[in-house]
Amino acid sequence: MNILKITALVGLATLVSACEDFQLRANGPDKSVDGGIDKKHLSQLEAGIWVDPNGCDHWIIDDGVEGYLSARLDKYGKPVCSGVAPPTHTVGDFKKGATSIIGDPI
Amino acid sequence: MVAALALQGAAVSAQTKSQTGRDKGQYIPTIWVDPDGCEHWVMDDGVEGYMTPHTNRQGIPVCRRGNVCGVMQSDQFFATNSARVSKSGQQRLNEFFKSATATSFIITGHTDSRASDAYNMRLSLNRANSVAKVAKASGARIADVRGYGERQPAASNGSASGMAKNRRVEIICVR
Repeated sequence: MNILKITALVGLATLVSACEDFQLRANGPDKSVDGGIDKKHLSQLEAGIWVDPNGCDHWIIDDGVEGYLSARLDKYGKPVCSGVAPPTHTVGDFKKGATSIIGDPI
Repeated sequence: MVAALALQGAAVSAQTKSQTGRDKGQYIPTIWVDPDGCEHWVMDDGVEGYMTPHTNRQGIPVCRRGNVCGVMQSDQFFATNSARVSKSGQQRLNEFFKSATATSFIITGHTDSRASDAYNMRLSLNRANSVAKVAKASGARIADVRGYGERQPAASNGSASGMAKNRRVEIICVR
């Protein structure tokens, strides 16, 4: 019961802080920049590779509270399935935008 | 005019809670360029991130540079209508694949526009497969082998030099 309550509290705190973040930000139509403590233009993001269950590559970025995933395509528009890692595994340092404060837990 | 009005009506009725925020449901993206040089649409909506490849209406990605690391002019490696790589050609290919530092390779064959489309699709795939065979024997990892026939010309087929340019096997280095 106690554990349940704590879990609920943590969940609530997370929700509230997410809402605060939401309200502090000017959420206009321009979605080209990352605000907050890791402020930057989104062209600065650094990606790694995630291999999907079919063995094909995707660019993956963990940028704190935002996550990004986009298909890796060759010049003909076909998926790149390089074999760089087994299916469901990742390669490269793609969590540079994450910090100990704003990282995976959220 | 009637159709346009009907469409507008549909757009208005599509208004949901998601279109009532400060952005009025408008999401203007920016461009992120991946390590291969290709563009992606990217958006940050506060605590959510979104990304999707920037392609043209044919599904071809928009790239600022390519990762084609080798173009074999077919005339130097194959006899006319043949998919057999010459001895000297095999040697050159072997050296290329041994010195190239890539995770894997994508091999695509291409022809000029003479002969039928079906014949060219077959010949280009056979040539690409011959190259892939040499590559595999040299220890390279092959991600894909394709024949595009005459459908992806690199130059105009209106001149002899253009046609020669189109007779090729492209090697993409995936790093």
